[in-house]
Amino acid sequence: MASVKLTKVKKIYDNKVVAVHDFDLDIKDKEFVVFVGPSGCGKSTTLRMIAGLEEISEGTVEIDGVVVNDLQPKDRNIAMVFQNYALYPHMTVYDNIAFSLRLQKMPEDLIYEKVTKAAEILGITEYLMRKPRALSGGQRQRVAIGRAMVRESKVFLMDEPLSNLDAKLRNQMRAEIILLRQKLNTTFIYVTHDQTEAMTLADRIVIMKDGFIMQVGTPAECFDMPANLFVAEFIGAPKMNIIKCELLREGDKYYVNPFGTKIEVTGEKGRELASRNVRAGKILLGVRPEHITLTQQGGIPTRLEVNEMMGSELHLHVYTEDETRLIVRVPTIGLTNEQRKSMVYGSALNITFEGKVMHFFDPETEKNLLLD
Amino acid sequence: MKRYTDMEYLRLSKGRKLLYKIAAFFCAIPRALKNGALGIVRAIVNFFKSIGLEFADIFNTFVNGDWKTKLSYLFMGFGNIARGQILRGLLFLLFEGVFIFYMIFAGAKWLSMLPSLGKVGPHEVYNAVLDTHTTEYGDNSFKILLYGVLTLFFIVAFLYTWRVNVRQNKIAEQILKSGKPLKSGKDDLRALVDDNFHKTLLALPMTGILIFTVMPIVFMILVAFTNYSGSNDGYFNALFTWVGLENFNTVLSWNGSGGVYSATFGEVLTWTLIWAFFATFTNYFLGMFVAMMINKKGICLKKVWRTILVLTIAIPQFISLLYVSKMFDKNGIVNGLLMDLGLISQNIDFWGSTAHDALLPRVMVIIINIWIGIPYLMLIATGILLNIPADLYESAKIDGASGWKQFSKITLPYMLFITGPYLLTSFTGNMNNFNVIYLLTGGNPINNAASSAAGSVGYTDLLITWLFKITTTTGTKYYMASVIGILVFIVVAIISLVVYNVLPSIKNEEDFQ
Amino acid sequence: MKKQEMEAQAAIKQHMGLKASARISNTVIYVILVLMSIIWLIPFICIVLQSFRTESTWSVGYILPKQWGFQNYVDLWNSNFKRWYLNTFIIALIVAAIQTIIVLCMSYTLSRFRFKLRKSLMKFMLILGMFPGMLTMIILYRVLKDLGLTESHAVPGLVLVYVASSGMGYYVSKGFFDTIPKSLDEAARVDGATRAQVLYKIILPLAKPIVIYTILTAFMAPWGDFVFAKYVSFEDPVGMNVAVGLWKWLTPDMINQRYTMFCAGGVIVAVPVAVLFMCLQKYYVEGVTGGAVKG
Repeated sequence: MASVKLTKVKKIYDNKVVAVHDFDLDIKDKEFVVFVGPSGCGKSTTLRMIAGLEEISEGTVEIDGVVVNDLQPKDRNIAMVFQNYALYPHMTVYDNIAFSLRLQKMPEDLIYEKVTKAAEILGITEYLMRKPRALSGGQRQRVAIGRAMVRESKVFLMDEPLSNLDAKLRNQMRAEIILLRQKLNTTFIYVTHDQTEAMTLADRIVIMKDGFIMQVGTPAECFDMPANLFVAEFIGAPKMNIIKCELLREGDKYYVNPFGTKIEVTGEKGRELASRNVRAGKILLGVRPEHITLTQQGGIPTRLEVNEMMGSELHLHVYTEDETRLIVRVPTIGLTNEQRKSMVYGSALNITFEGKVMHFFDPETEKNLLLD
Repeated sequence: MKRYTDMEYLRLSKGRKLLYKIAAFFCAIPRALKNGALGIVRAIVNFFKSIGLEFADIFNTFVNGDWKTKLSYLFMGFGNIARGQILRGLLFLLFEGVFIFYMIFAGAKWLSMLPSLGKVGPHEVYNAVLDTHTTEYGDNSFKILLYGVLTLFFIVAFLYTWRVNVRQNKIAEQILKSGKPLKSGKDDLRALVDDNFHKTLLALPMTGILIFTVMPIVFMILVAFTNYSGSNDGYFNALFTWVGLENFNTVLSWNGSGGVYSATFGEVLTWTLIWAFFATFTNYFLGMFVAMMINKKGICLKKVWRTILVLTIAIPQFISLLYVSKMFDKNGIVNGLLMDLGLISQNIDFWGSTAHDALLPRVMVIIINIWIGIPYLMLIATGILLNIPADLYESAKIDGASGWKQFSKITLPYMLFITGPYLLTSFTGNMNNFNVIYLLTGGNPINNAASSAAGSVGYTDLLITWLFKITTTTGTKYYMASVIGILVFIVVAIISLVVYNVLPSIKNEEDFQ
Repeated sequence: MKKQEMEAQAAIKQHMGLKASARISNTVIYVILVLMSIIWLIPFICIVLQSFRTESTWSVGYILPKQWGFQNYVDLWNSNFKRWYLNTFIIALIVAAIQTIIVLCMSYTLSRFRFKLRKSLMKFMLILGMFPGMLTMIILYRVLKDLGLTESHAVPGLVLVYVASSGMGYYVSKGFFDTIPKSLDEAARVDGATRAQVLYKIILPLAKPIVIYTILTAFMAPWGDFVFAKYVSFEDPVGMNVAVGLWKWLTPDMINQRYTMFCAGGVIVAVPVAVLFMCLQKYYVEGVTGGAVKG
């Protein structure tokens, strides 16, 4: 139930390593924001600075308009879920959840009411008298969330809460977090390294790398219009193919020439290029695997290296004549049995892609040519 | 020494690899020493640099500060009080008051006498009433040195507090300028259990260490530069005074009257190192061996064996050591039994009495130390052995490693890596292992050649027991004890420095977290 | 014979061989362990047996007493031993209490707080520890003497000496605290606990083994301390602890009258301490192994 505002927040460790560079972000009330990036990108550090567990070297953090830089974590009105759950091993589940309420000197009757209610929502009522070590990973995670829930705090922080769970449980908990969010109706800040989690949970994603923000935007924005090469490769699975080639211009029309072919840039992208009057020259061309199609004749000749059967689709790892590796994602539904059988190591495949789904990056700055 | 690249090293024969490693280890020692020395120099340089920065900051704070700050340079805590932080201000002011009071009424006197350690010694005075000479006591060198050191400590503490006072004014000004409120006394008190909880927790232990460890050590280091001894006790018999480096000359020079000292010191140091080496490694390997035997699959009654050994730890050491020393006495039980069994015709003098018997007592203390030490090592080794991941052994078995190979390629390296720091502390601990030596042999047999050195040193004496003897036997040359103490420190420090720089597992404490 | 059968038999033989060699090596180990047990137990058995011996001179050359009796224990009751025992017990009790508090404060702080001088402080204490502690004895003795805390009043003096520098012994328990995940502290602080509440609500309950270990070692140390006790009490009959008192009985001029009493005294000292130790052995082992592993 609060906004969070970070202004030029910086984290410098004593040995002069800068972990987070001038971090600016405005998080609106009740927004679900996800910090995502590879390990060591500063996402957890930023979250911990908001929580007050890490000192803020420079800049300010405001919660609900109040600068909280000098406040202890307990005085910031936040709740947090940790990666390894951080359940107190010597207390029962009930005591774990009640811990913060007891510190507030809340009457026991009220504590009982709140804890049982939270346990009901999370489906852990029958485990209330157990110690954490007698619980499974998913149950522990629920207890950790329950502990954060009963605080009814302004901001809900989650630090990679699902990364210790197995894949199946992770999907299930992800859905539960979405439900939880609707019930709690508060501001969420969520840290993860998994882009799928980020895409599915977030109202807005903050993509970070080496302490810098790479892009802030809705999942759709980040997917459709990645600000730079890093975001383009990070968001989406399997990752985007990057091809070195040239952008050619003939009047108002643009072409790219990957692997000796010539493909016209059509649709929205073509118009954008023209309206921005982009200069012709060397570029990095980005094409998502699902936008590459197989073709019977023409196109780019390639050979198959690996064929990954994913069920509803195939991930084909192919290489072109100049040894560039590409990934192609083909829905199984459109293939005959014969076609599928013929796709073995070394078999020839011709690929092509459409002009309206390409991304263009400056080879020097690695920035998207269609964004500022 | 030629350095091989990784690829070249892999092509060497087995013997060459070993030689190369040994050579590399010894080549690393000078570098480790150099690094250590450089580190010390760098620390000193940094220290002076930071002092310079402090002075600059003090000056700048004064120039840029408002009148409250400026007045605080004279009256500590004035700025705090003027800005509403009454509690802090009063504490500062109180401290300044106590300091000034102390300096005027006591500190100045002690400080002024510190360079001479007192002028008037005990002297005879003619008492006209009784018509006899009575002794009148003058200054007390011991007290002068002690209180002189204390006063110096106090002055340093005052300067530090004054500096804190200046810095707080600066910070308070900045905070007020940025429009935020200052912390109140209530906030300060609350911070003592929260933000500044570590200061609360450290206050008591650090005071104890400062008064009962740091201060005595500083005092005793200073004693090494005086002639403080039983005859120059500084009050009753005669004053003592500064003698400069004379005592170090005596111990470290080979000619003149010091020859005996330097020879004795060399002998005792050598034996101390030999003892520490054997005491550490015999225990280490035998303890590990016993632990492995007890933990071997298929051995029953594990708990019983362990408990029997642990009994040695449970029973206070002095009882077992004293008793065992009497068992092996010339008239003790062991000799009696051997006689009865007809194995010997003459009592064996296990503890020796002349110089020719020096070897037997030395071997005996090492053996009995094994008896004392194995249980500890057995416990430690058991803990570590149980922690070695089982899959290491499983994969070794699949790779076809025999029992011996498993031990030498997995168990031993793992143990050595984990217990590296322990071996170091155990080595230095054994160098100072007073109890075992003193209670078993009392340092005997007496070394007659060294008899003119203080403390009637014996063949099994370690530096530490020699030091103890010097301070307790006739003459009580405290200054010599102090010199030897400092030399022990230097030896231990050099060993630790080298090992720290060579061992891989010590370097980073956070690695373990 | 068929080839398969031969192979099977060979395999069985090999298996038997392995078993046999395992049996041999186990037998060897049992022999060694039994021998070791005898060596380790003999001194303690002897001391108990001789405490019941009534022939008084010490060097008799046999283990089993010719005349049994409780005379030594009766003599012990009538000697100064009572006083020494009480002294040691009081010292041990007070030291155990105060030292535990100090060590826990110190190790918790150094494990959990990251303050500016932390590393320098630890290095400083490391260097301090390299000075032989005995060196400080000379001055401490003089100061304690001035305060009147030596000789017959040695007990408070000794308590002071033992307790004062106990902050230096933070190593083992810091190692243990380091193994408690920091995220527990952080979670508690987010939940609204102050640092002090974190300590006694979260950390101390989890650190029970190391608390017991600290109490146990602190309690046991004064029973065995010899150097400081000898120095501070100056062998005064009222101020000594058991270690110094019993040591004195074995000096050449007293050993003939006091040897069997020494044995009885040793039993009286060792039994309660050893029983206490054996009861809490589990925690001791945890502390010792943890401490060595952490360095």
